[in-house]
Amino acid sequence: MKELIKKLTQVSAPSGRERKVHLAILEELEGFIDGYRFDNVSNLIVWKNGNGENKKNFIFDGHADEIGVVITNIDEKGFLRIDPVGGVNPLMLLGTLLNFDDVTGIVSYEGETDEDAKKSLTQPSYDYLFVDIGATSREDAQKKVHIGQFGSYLSPFVDMDPMLVSKSMDDRIACAIVVQAIKETQNPYHNIYGIFSVQEEVGILGAKVAAYDIHADIAIAVDVTGHTDTPKGNKRMDLQLGKGPAIKIKDKASISDESVVRLLTKCAKANQIPFQYEVLIYGGTNAHGYQLTGAGIKSGTLSIPCRYVHSPHEMVHLEDVKNAVRLLNAVALKSDW
Amino acid sequence: MFLKDLCEINGASGNEDRVRSYIQEQLKSPEEPGQVDVLGNLFFEKKGNGTSDKTILLMAHTDEVGLMVTNIQDDGLLAVSPIGGVDPRVLLGKRVWVGENNLPGVIGYKAIHLQKEDFKTLPDWDKVRVDIGAQKKEEAQKSVNLGDYVHFYSPFEEYENRYVGKALDDRAGCALLMALYRELPVLNHRVVFAFVVQEEIGLRGSGSTLKRYKPDAAIVVEGTTAGDNPELKRERWSTHLDNGPAISYLQSGYALDYRLFEAIVAFANQKGILYQLKGRTVGGTDGTRLASTYFGVPCAGVNIPSRYIHSPVSVISKKDFENTKQFIADILTEEILLKALEVKV
Repeated sequence: MKELIKKLTQVSAPSGRERKVHLAILEELEGFIDGYRFDNVSNLIVWKNGNGENKKNFIFDGHADEIGVVITNIDEKGFLRIDPVGGVNPLMLLGTLLNFDDVTGIVSYEGETDEDAKKSLTQPSYDYLFVDIGATSREDAQKKVHIGQFGSYLSPFVDMDPMLVSKSMDDRIACAIVVQAIKETQNPYHNIYGIFSVQEEVGILGAKVAAYDIHADIAIAVDVTGHTDTPKGNKRMDLQLGKGPAIKIKDKASISDESVVRLLTKCAKANQIPFQYEVLIYGGTNAHGYQLTGAGIKSGTLSIPCRYVHSPHEMVHLEDVKNAVRLLNAVALKSDW
Repeated sequence: MFLKDLCEINGASGNEDRVRSYIQEQLKSPEEPGQVDVLGNLFFEKKGNGTSDKTILLMAHTDEVGLMVTNIQDDGLLAVSPIGGVDPRVLLGKRVWVGENNLPGVIGYKAIHLQKEDFKTLPDWDKVRVDIGAQKKEEAQKSVNLGDYVHFYSPFEEYENRYVGKALDDRAGCALLMALYRELPVLNHRVVFAFVVQEEIGLRGSGSTLKRYKPDAAIVVEGTTAGDNPELKRERWSTHLDNGPAISYLQSGYALDYRLFEAIVAFANQKGILYQLKGRTVGGTDGTRLASTYFGVPCAGVNIPSRYIHSPVSVISKKDFENTKQFIADILTEEILLKALEVKV
């Protein structure tokens, strides 16, 4: 599973530019699915047919995109200006490497005076940031990159057994979980739709379209969530790495349908899968899109507690990941819900 | 001239009737009288010649930003609230029209003699008042109701290279679509021209277009931010006047369809068409709504750079207007969007 996680997290595919990760997912799923297609907004939808007498349609969603940046300007000396793609705090970019389709950039900041430099560091803003790709002029830079080109963090996969660290655990860890669950579930009872949705990070776009498209009875968004188990972690919540995948009760964008919470809880208990409940006081997932679109789908979120979300180095616990796969398997095989 | 007429018609979000009527009057024919839906969106359809069952949607919004009367004070002054994004600084010292009958009014500010350093702080909405010359509440109530719209008073002007007026966001888009509707020959596929309501207050009008026409792809045409003013540093300009149509790739809530974006840019490069890539990603357009509603429509954004939008005096380049129109006509005629979507991922 580590190899799969490494493969999917290391692909650079920010919102709107998910093609590469979709192809990696299809490569992994070859021989394990009954079909796939891309919809109008390029969501990748795969399916595996169930054989249960009273089978339902289940969505397992992991969003394919990651946060990133986009080039908005190239100056005469070949330095780039960028805007965020999704929620990227400019503070996270200082001293970070970026990857624009295999062209590497270094992020640094302006400072004509000591005061300016201090401002750049204490009030980081995209107005004061620039990216250096080692170009010597605008013409030189334009040979390597172009305005409107999307990029992502360039940061390694690190195995800190049992912790795993990489860029874009949000939400490739979910892609890996859904892929693995589909691979491992032989003869599911229910029809399973794996949706590797686009543009979650800029506004839950892909899930809204998929929700209209797929007539599902239940949608489970798999996504990362926060953590509270670090020094002076948020004391209003409780989320710990290694305590099991988290069954979301609520975040700022959705309240998980009671029946979904019950189903996940039952399946976890019946199979001795450790889990924790999650009440997140911020954030949102694709469950929001699945709930609100069309006639609405009973939706919930299965979360992976994650440290340092939206930073270049996001950390998850391998056991939580494996247990999330087991839990999805149990859901796919369960005859009643 | 469509653009002059459109800019001088008042139509803030929710109050687009006059804009819609004007467009319909100008474009209607016995064969195509135009369709108005329940929200007030207006559609004109140009049928294809029968060789293609595809539909391309062109969209512009008919509404503009403005104000609404929220209170009539005892002293006869009107308190107002913004409709859409309005910077209160652009209002001071301006003439306005109040209500359906265009009652004239002014938004004044105390003379500089009477100020200490007021100009260093922002006027807030609690201080912005419309003066219609009424002495007291009862007098004002004779001609004004709560909920009356307030529009910028701003006669349209033509400079040698420029058009100047209010509401170029997005009457420039409306005028461009009107001209294209008149000028485009019959193509293989159908083209739907949508003039939609209530964009400025949250993309509310455009969604209903989708079930009616089931478009395969859309181009949203906006009078978009220029920001090439000296007070902004060049690296953070959004677009530049006279540099041609501005193609967008990311906006609030939506990374515009990469297949369409890449195809349009490649087409422009291949044909040597003057264009620019938008330098900022803030702000939304109806494209976000089109891509995220129902089955989702892949969208492209091709825009007319406009200075000082959301103020009484926005400015566009005559050349940009013509070039953008021609560019979109070429994209449609050569079926660039449909070809881009045919390519398997």
